[in-house]
Amino acid sequence: MSFKSAVITFPGSNCDRDALCYLQDLTKSVVYSIWHEEASLPQVDLVILPGGFSFGDYLRSGAMASKSKIINDVIKHANDGRYLFGICNGFQILTEIGLLEGALIQNKNLKFLGKNCFIKKKFKNNFNLSIKEDQALQIPVAHNEGNFYCDNETLKSLKNNEQIAFEYCKGEFSNSEENINGSIEAIAGITNKKKNILGMMPHPERAYSDFHQSQDGKLIIESLIS
Amino acid sequence: MNEELILQHGLTLDEFKIIKNYLSRDLTIEELGIFSAMWNEHCCYKTSKKWLKKLPTENEIVIQGPGENAGIIDIQDNDGIAFKIESHNHPSYIEPFNGSATGVGGILRDIFTMGARPIATLDSIRFGLIESEKTKYLLNGVVHGIGHYGNCIGIPNIGGECEFESTYGYNNLVNAMAVGHVQKDKIFYSKPKSIGGLIVYIGSKTGKDGIHGASMASDVFSEDDEDDKRPSVQVGDPFMEKLLMEGCLELMSLGLIESMQDMGAAGITSSSVEMASKGNVGVLINLDKVPLRQPLSAYEILLSESQERMLAVIDEKNNLKVREILQKWQIDYEVIGEITNNKRIVFESNNKKVVDLPVDIIVDDAPEYDREFYMPRKRKGKDFDFSRIKLEDIINTLLSNLNYLDKSWVFNQYDSTVMGDTVKEPGQSSGIVKIHGTQKVIGATTDCNPLYIRINPYEGMKYTVAESYRNLIACNINPLAITNNLNFASPLDPNIMGELVLSIDGLKTAAAKFNTPIVSGNVSLYNQTNEIPIKPTPVIGMVGSNQDLKKINSNKFCNIGNKIIVLGKKLEKNFSPYLLQDQNLASSINEYNDLEVLDLDYEKKVADCVLKMSDFKHIMSCNDISRGGVFLSLLKMQYKDMGFKVNIPDPIDLFCEYSAGYVIEIRNEDLNKVTSFLSKNGVGYFEIGEIIRENIEINSKKFDYFDIINNYHNNFEKIIN
Repeated sequence: MSFKSAVITFPGSNCDRDALCYLQDLTKSVVYSIWHEEASLPQVDLVILPGGFSFGDYLRSGAMASKSKIINDVIKHANDGRYLFGICNGFQILTEIGLLEGALIQNKNLKFLGKNCFIKKKFKNNFNLSIKEDQALQIPVAHNEGNFYCDNETLKSLKNNEQIAFEYCKGEFSNSEENINGSIEAIAGITNKKKNILGMMPHPERAYSDFHQSQDGKLIIESLIS
Repeated sequence: MNEELILQHGLTLDEFKIIKNYLSRDLTIEELGIFSAMWNEHCCYKTSKKWLKKLPTENEIVIQGPGENAGIIDIQDNDGIAFKIESHNHPSYIEPFNGSATGVGGILRDIFTMGARPIATLDSIRFGLIESEKTKYLLNGVVHGIGHYGNCIGIPNIGGECEFESTYGYNNLVNAMAVGHVQKDKIFYSKPKSIGGLIVYIGSKTGKDGIHGASMASDVFSEDDEDDKRPSVQVGDPFMEKLLMEGCLELMSLGLIESMQDMGAAGITSSSVEMASKGNVGVLINLDKVPLRQPLSAYEILLSESQERMLAVIDEKNNLKVREILQKWQIDYEVIGEITNNKRIVFESNNKKVVDLPVDIIVDDAPEYDREFYMPRKRKGKDFDFSRIKLEDIINTLLSNLNYLDKSWVFNQYDSTVMGDTVKEPGQSSGIVKIHGTQKVIGATTDCNPLYIRINPYEGMKYTVAESYRNLIACNINPLAITNNLNFASPLDPNIMGELVLSIDGLKTAAAKFNTPIVSGNVSLYNQTNEIPIKPTPVIGMVGSNQDLKKINSNKFCNIGNKIIVLGKKLEKNFSPYLLQDQNLASSINEYNDLEVLDLDYEKKVADCVLKMSDFKHIMSCNDISRGGVFLSLLKMQYKDMGFKVNIPDPIDLFCEYSAGYVIEIRNEDLNKVTSFLSKNGVGYFEIGEIIRENIEINSKKFDYFDIINNYHNNFEKIIN
């Protein structure tokens, strides 16, 4: 089976190449690179909105990118039930579009956070099928606004609909923290209700190759392909 | 032209006389501005040039030495590495966030101007004592600024150094280094190729920021100056730089550009003069065409240091294509002039020539001074009283001194894994990134030992170079070349000038021995405020490579039960400067014993053995020994649940500094092979102990493992808050 995918590049995206390599290496199939001003997406199984500082994060992280020309087709792609995956800035863009609930506010220590963190899966979905219960994945984070926030009602519905995909957890290092950025209930990634859209702050595309500190990031793409 | 105006422009009256005699006429105010910018220390190296000329700058792998935007070395196949370090000291003191951010922005432009894609940044930052609120403010601002710019543009920060010492209290140092990858057949230089080529302006609009930044950088500060100077600090926009970088690299990959020059210090003035001088041509620029953010006079346009701007030369036939590509990246683009054959710098504004100068007088006739300097005094031998120093106390002082502690608080504010090619993150012996799409890796490190250099500038500089060298060797990276950033106080003081001269000499000796030429660099003088000169701080950045990323050594312990061996030659405790300083045994600089002469041949011999043993996979992990001695190396190597037990006749020796010092971890079954290899090669070694689980033991005395580890990792953040 050939699993086709695409990565959108906005001005200021800086993990677009990383996402492209991640998909090429793991899907061994076609990966399209799409400029934000293009009007339409090719027919693909998965679209990634990559990390970075789209439009300089001016106004709000992800706010300007959410109004890009390509976004109409991204929404259409998701409404057709195909996979859409936002990483870091991509997650922020998804909340700005409204495809995912909640918002990402500044980290609790008010500083950029670039380090390894550990996450585990909360509720099962197609993005985390290959991950075992209670398996702590080591994946880097790099964000200033990664502190997931939503009101109580939304939180309740995220839980009831099993939309929480990943939460931060303690890892094997004695000084690793449980909730690195202050997110509500240590939420690291969520899906929509249909569970074909995932947004997460950690960067799996920086943890898959044999020279990376961890290869745990592979599991997400492997889950989708399997 | 009146004297006051001349002096305000940082020129001496003698220097002004030279210009006036040459031109046989008075200068326009714009021309005075040009000389002010081009004849200051920052741009023309008038104090250091004589000495810098002595440095080794060439060997078989140097593609481009000093004199271009960055140096470039050959790492085989079609791969070249461009790198450079640059200071942004004064701006970072006045406005720490923007000062340090634009320091990163500037050095990145130096790299991609040459057609290289930046792949890593490093830094070297120094502050005063943390007890001062000012230091806390500066530290927070500088780290935030460096992080903000690098994170946003998306270049990983892979290492650096951060030191706290009293002389930097009112004159902190911020040196930023960048490393880029370039295809050897696609390098771009600042030298224009053809007469008649169009001079084009690419990037942000020009505003008032940074006017006279370059001459400010050469001023001696006084404390109450900072408010007056604030408008001189440039404001950076990393998003704009990201667009500019992608736009420029796209133009270059399509071959649409002839040459390019970054508008850095002294903006359009220095970039156009450099271009003309390198190409032995003239430039004619119409200042009315320059994209402006606000109404500016010709004088202001010439001296503005607005960030994220490039000057390029293109063939007229490519004009439309270039415009189209830059439009996609939403970058301002304007044809503002042309390359002429008359070797003159001409700027027009409102149909009037406001500047018309021969290139020669600006560049070739720039002053060069042979300043007086003193040699340091001979030192008397002295024995220090170690009898009252207890092992526990030494460990406690180490773990409450910022200079020894884990600096994750700093590094965690930097994105060090973006681009997906990072092999070793900051905080280890050296930072390492992979060359995208290959198995090759590049290692880089920044270092300086100011205390050593104050004690003995020549030997101290040798130690500094050797420390960088060891940082790379410990990872099994083959050291290749150096970039330097000479930070000193006022060279008008012959003692300081002596430190400058002798440390350059030490750099020369060590670089020649290691075959690591100096390919780029920067000089920052007059680093003193309120009569307090900084310690001599000639920072070096060293770059090396390994063709196979699988051969890289870990800097962290691998397995419980493995043996720990120390290589190298210990500096005796009376001769370990940082030990004496940090245990409060020496209170003034005059008390220290002279540095032991560093045997560079021995340094090289030990390094060669480490590289060989690494290739044989006999070394499981390795770290160099520097400030803090063997003990601190062991702490740095500590990983997961591992600890160590060591046996040593005099435990204070664990804290002595070293030459050619490394701690290596080897498997028991390799012990005989390794020790006989070392003996055969005449390398001193000492089997000091082994890796154990969750314990730290020195001569059978148990220490609180978790206490030490937690203090080492967490005290930095506690102390600075």
